[in-house]
Amino acid sequence: MTTATPTKKERRDQARQERIAREQAEAARTARRRRFTRLGAVLGAAAVVVVILVAVSSSGGGSTASTSSSASSSAVAGTQASRSLLNGIPQKGLTLGNANAPVRVLEFADLQCPFCRDYTTGVMPGLVQKYVRTGKVRMEFHALAFIGPDSVRAARVAEAAGRQDKLWNVTELAYHNQGKENSGWATDATLKRITGAVPGLDTNKVFAARDGAGVTNALKAAGALATAHKVNETPTFLVGRGNDLKATDAAGLTAAIKAAVGS
Amino acid sequence: MSDRLRLAAMVISAVGIAIAGYLTYVHYAGISPVCEIAHGCEKVQTSEWSEVAGIPVAVLGLLGYAGILAALFVPGETGATAAAGMALVGAGFSAYLTYREVFTIEAICIWCVASAILMTVLAILTVVRLARQSPAALSTARAAR
Repeated sequence: MTTATPTKKERRDQARQERIAREQAEAARTARRRRFTRLGAVLGAAAVVVVILVAVSSSGGGSTASTSSSASSSAVAGTQASRSLLNGIPQKGLTLGNANAPVRVLEFADLQCPFCRDYTTGVMPGLVQKYVRTGKVRMEFHALAFIGPDSVRAARVAEAAGRQDKLWNVTELAYHNQGKENSGWATDATLKRITGAVPGLDTNKVFAARDGAGVTNALKAAGALATAHKVNETPTFLVGRGNDLKATDAAGLTAAIKAAVGS
Repeated sequence: MSDRLRLAAMVISAVGIAIAGYLTYVHYAGISPVCEIAHGCEKVQTSEWSEVAGIPVAVLGLLGYAGILAALFVPGETGATAAAGMALVGAGFSAYLTYREVFTIEAICIWCVASAILMTVLAILTVVRLARQSPAALSTARAAR
């Protein structure tokens, strides 16, 4: 058996096919290289962006508080309602209304309590309009914190805002943004959004003061006052002139104020 | 095949937009998300990690899904690369947020977990699409020369 010697044409064809195969292999290698380079670049770039996001997220929890009130207020429910309710009414510490108003209404409330929220959003606006704006009644907010840790955190911030005469703005917004009892809703982020939505309130000062002795003592005083008046549910109100105060619940409040004001 | 991957990624992006849109609405309306299975949504949504530099993560998610969907409509290498890049960032950051949910906030938000799963699937689909698309495109280009 003899092996046929390839003709010149056959050799040329074979060489051409080998060259094509080499070129195709080279093209495949280049494509693979390019593909891996690009995938690597995309992965690397994505990793860098993720690291930046994580870094900003980890450090930004506290710093978001310093966002301007106009920027963050849009995110806070009840901002407009609370502003239109309270604008133009004097505040001093725990008190809302004219300091010389003859009738006092002391409110004992927990910022976590849903009944307190219902009173604040439902009944209180009418009373403020009719009696506080007209200088007949001054309201005092005494924060109790018995439901759980969220009560304490919210009460401390409200009390600290009272040092800047903005307590009522904070309690209003806290009720509008109240979460389920003890769900952990009163986080620093939420409370900072709330204080950030109050015009003229310095959030940094609020958070610097909230754990101070002044706020602690004020909350103790509120608790002692509640005990002295046998307050055992929230909201409870003491209504009257001077120190002649009568206790009532939310349902009886309007009648009690009417009687005390005399109209 | 690439078309099927693209279509699947488009559908997932649309679902992602719906979830992130709902969470964005919940964030700005100041209400609690519907959270019947695990009551952790509110805790997660109001935690310190619900915002990045003052921007709610729900908004970032919404922008991410919208960006990926837009990139999927862009033909060729640029669109595929952009989609894969954004999905990888989304999946990476979602993984970090899920870690925070479980180990720091100690609450699970089902909407956030659903979004994290969608973003991870999107990352896989878009990366596979990117990896498959380029060599085919290149060899076609070479063979045609």
